[in-house]
Amino acid sequence: MQFSKKWLQTFFSKSLNDFDLSNLLTMAGLEVDDIKNFNELSDNIVVAEIVKVEKHPNADKLNVCEVNVGQESNLQIVCGAPNARQGIKVPCALVGAKLPDFEIKKAKLRGVDSFGMLCSAKEIGLNDELDGLHELHQSAKIGQSIKEALSLNDTIYTLSITPNRGDCLSMIGIAREISAQIKVKMNDVEIIDLSQKFNNSQKVLVEENKACPRYCGIQINQINNKIKLPQWLIGYLDSAGIASINPVVDITNFVLLEQGQPLHAFDQKKLQGEIKVRRAQKKESLLLLNEQKIDFDGSELVIADNSGPLALAGIMGGQSSAITTDTKEVFLESAFFAPEEIAGRARSFSLSTDSSHRFERGVDYQNTLKAMQRAANLIIKFCGGECSNAVDIQNTLPQRKKIHLRTKKINNILGIDINTKEVEDILSRLNLDFLKQDEHYEVNIPSYRFDLTIEADLIEEVIRLYGYNNIPAITPQSNASIIKNCITNKSLNDIKLSFSNLGYNEVVTYSFIAKDVEEELHENKSLIELNNPIASQMNVMRTKLWGSHLETLTYNINRGQSQVRIFEIAATYHKHKTEIIEETMVSGLLYGSYLPEQWTAEKKYINFFNIKGDIEIISSNLLDFNRTDSGIPASLHPGQTAEIKKRDQHVGWLGQLHPAWQQKYSLDDKVYLFEFKLNSILENPMNRIELPSKLTPVRRDISVLIDKNIAVGDIVATIKSLNIRNLIDFYPFDLYEGSGIDNNKKSIAFLILMQDTYKTLEENEVTRIVDQVLSILQSNFSATLR
Amino acid sequence: MDQLKDLINQAKSEFSQCQSLPDLDHAKAKFIGKSGAITEAMRSLSSIPKEEKPKVGAEINSIKQEIEALLAARRNAIQSQAMQSQLESELIDVTLPGNKQSAGSLHPISLTLQRVEMLFRSIGFDVATGPEIEDDYHNFTALNIPESHPARAMHDTFYIGKHVLRTHTSPVQVRYMKAHQPPLKIISPGRVYRVDSDATHSPMFHQVEGLWIDEKASFANLKGLLQDFLQSFFEDESLIIRFRPSFFPFTEPSAEIDMSWNDGWLEIGGCGMVHPEVLKQVEIDHDNFQGFAFGLGVERLAMLKFGINDLRPFFNNDLRFLKQFSR
Repeated sequence: MQFSKKWLQTFFSKSLNDFDLSNLLTMAGLEVDDIKNFNELSDNIVVAEIVKVEKHPNADKLNVCEVNVGQESNLQIVCGAPNARQGIKVPCALVGAKLPDFEIKKAKLRGVDSFGMLCSAKEIGLNDELDGLHELHQSAKIGQSIKEALSLNDTIYTLSITPNRGDCLSMIGIAREISAQIKVKMNDVEIIDLSQKFNNSQKVLVEENKACPRYCGIQINQINNKIKLPQWLIGYLDSAGIASINPVVDITNFVLLEQGQPLHAFDQKKLQGEIKVRRAQKKESLLLLNEQKIDFDGSELVIADNSGPLALAGIMGGQSSAITTDTKEVFLESAFFAPEEIAGRARSFSLSTDSSHRFERGVDYQNTLKAMQRAANLIIKFCGGECSNAVDIQNTLPQRKKIHLRTKKINNILGIDINTKEVEDILSRLNLDFLKQDEHYEVNIPSYRFDLTIEADLIEEVIRLYGYNNIPAITPQSNASIIKNCITNKSLNDIKLSFSNLGYNEVVTYSFIAKDVEEELHENKSLIELNNPIASQMNVMRTKLWGSHLETLTYNINRGQSQVRIFEIAATYHKHKTEIIEETMVSGLLYGSYLPEQWTAEKKYINFFNIKGDIEIISSNLLDFNRTDSGIPASLHPGQTAEIKKRDQHVGWLGQLHPAWQQKYSLDDKVYLFEFKLNSILENPMNRIELPSKLTPVRRDISVLIDKNIAVGDIVATIKSLNIRNLIDFYPFDLYEGSGIDNNKKSIAFLILMQDTYKTLEENEVTRIVDQVLSILQSNFSATLR
Repeated sequence: MDQLKDLINQAKSEFSQCQSLPDLDHAKAKFIGKSGAITEAMRSLSSIPKEEKPKVGAEINSIKQEIEALLAARRNAIQSQAMQSQLESELIDVTLPGNKQSAGSLHPISLTLQRVEMLFRSIGFDVATGPEIEDDYHNFTALNIPESHPARAMHDTFYIGKHVLRTHTSPVQVRYMKAHQPPLKIISPGRVYRVDSDATHSPMFHQVEGLWIDEKASFANLKGLLQDFLQSFFEDESLIIRFRPSFFPFTEPSAEIDMSWNDGWLEIGGCGMVHPEVLKQVEIDHDNFQGFAFGLGVERLAMLKFGINDLRPFFNNDLRFLKQFSR
């Protein structure tokens, strides 16, 4: 909602200059988005008449204009606007004039001198109309400053009105609010009773009572729609950002802004038979005023005559019955359409009109007739003509329920101490009639307040007028019960910190990704697609984070990074039949050197086991890394991938990016990726804590040859599963493959650590344990001692 | 006898020429080894007249002791010299950089959320989370935003079939209120989504919302709590907030939260008293319980706290940006 301060002033006898209007509006809940002060507009922008237009000799799109700005001689100005033509009056910024963005200087354009600039509406800050010169009224005085000519010595406020305050989408609404705030009575708009000169001949039938509870209409004949409306009226429209079209349309727009009542004027001569407010029929269509063609599906509310739909009810009129400057007879419509009928409807046609914007928020159904009379007054006053009697078809109008308001509740909710006198004063200022009962008020709600339905709504009204600034800041008191906490639970923050401590950088990437990445890299066959993606590379929800992390890798390589270690903990989204399941994954990518380049270390590339070690630390060794032949993601290297399991349940993957994908992403070095379910490591069970023995453990090392394809993990698991007495640890500490041993063999050295709880082990006991281990290696894994 | 006394001088001179412990051992053998001069002298005592033996023997002993003392002194000298030269040879340049893995870091959004959580936990708030792909009921209807209500247009919602990407973390509050009885105090942090992308808007961003329901939590308490929180978060006791009337379908009264910042006001979030209709939806008795809710933008808090004036670096994941947050 955009309006001129001068217009608002007409509702008050007291000068509004005495108040900080911007602060008042903001603290009333009508947020001021923008204030445009035309008083600052340069006086060097004047009314000019184009006297002559010639083609620019060196540029197709430019014209050389001769303009009269009221000085002794005419000025030569080069202009590119398509509507530049002889005889029109336009704003002209003279040399030296300061525009919002720049200063006008004498210039040479493609070799032709230019002494100023002819301006569009946007260039002088009127509205956003950039196309073409802003054509002024023919009566505009040549040489007069544009500020005076357009009565621009004014301030334009742009308010951002919240959806609950549809009543403030009009001048009377804003004036009502200001009046309540400044405690000054507002002036009413004078509406003269119409004198009926003939009988209304336009029949109206409202078939949809619920959607259209009230419909008023009136005929006005013998008008002249070629006249020019006074500048003040056009100026007010201008200040609201509404372009002037023709007098009748301008007047309906003026009344829309003033009264908040959308009106529609039909050219009476173009109507055929009875007007019906009805549902559209399938296969009917309508060409709207904005030249958009609507094909109806049958659910839409339309205004129609015998020829078919004339207007999309409450949203926009159609071209076939539109008012033109030739119109002589008008049928004026002023209706109340139910908010739920209009809500969402305009958006479904990608439309947002001043009319639909108001109807969907609620228009005052007691003002329908009055607003129409106001428009008829103005049409007859400026365009001449005479009117018929008014038609007023009413059905069940909304009922305003009385609201029960308790002072005690006001104070409980707000935490303030307001007395009944203040409450009553506030209700009166808001025109809320009330009846005082013992402990409460019965409050009547005016027809224009669609937002007041329960006590809480009135409590908000009270605090709005009491002043949000008067709310004290009081630290709340609460009961001090301790939140239950389980020692075996790890927090998300613990995990993130572990990664960070191991030299990983946390990233945050978008949850949506390109469809082809999801289909190919993530091998997702049941996509979760966005109906309305913001871009094609973000059109599906991801099942893995790897695609995003590869993008992040490329982004950083392009910026000179040679070592990348990133992780992210975020949801992934999976479709199972019709259900969508979210799984939070711990995921990451490593690339390049293991350590940053430094003087102590030889360059070593990151490998599988570096990352496996990190995950073992972070997961407190809760996860198992298994070989598998099936199910390995095609994006991973089949020989360098481990399936991550927790207690035999699949929870994720660790592996090298498949060399084919490495090529596709044009990456020089190997990339490693991992992912596992967050909930697989959130639980961190406490083991029974054992006191260390006083005795020193005995260590023996054995080195064996085994087939290359035997998994060392299986050997360790087998030995451990036997629970050999006094064997306290068993693990591989050296691996050798290559010259000196058979091609399909590998040499592994194991450490065997033994200890008895109560006594030092005898040599024969040690030998027995080592032999037992060896015999299992030999029998189960065909190992030979080296 | 003089011959014997001369041994001391001989030993002194020989020992002093020794530069290592093996050399010294070698030299030592000449005097007090098995066939050393002193040992020889002791042996020769047998040929000395009996009455002279004690005197000569004592003298030899005293010479032996003296030589042993010389030996010990020289051994100490050699050892300390050896230690000295070892130390000298082991000199390092301690100004060379330490050997390390590159510095890890948490994302500024995580750092900010951790700080917010820490502050609210300190007064007994629990942290609740919920799904990001929501149904219409939890994201809108339960929050008093019925179908085709104009307020839905305020949300620029991403749709997935009939589902939505949550436009705020309020649905978490709905789920929590349905599952728990008041009194309750929670914050719900997380990712939220709106169809909006430019220099100051990201289609995905983070919110933290708070909810407090009990018998008496008031609008003034809400203001007190938020002011206290923002003072602590920004470590500025002089920070004050103001409420500005606003509209959210799920709160009544509603307010925008402005905080004092660089001589002006800066909008930092929205809040209000939980709408009775919302309490009704989650089956909380709205005659006996009341409470407030608030929502803050995490990126906004992070930008202000860390002095970053651009939203885009949060999602570009440039390591040169992220590594600055290692701590």
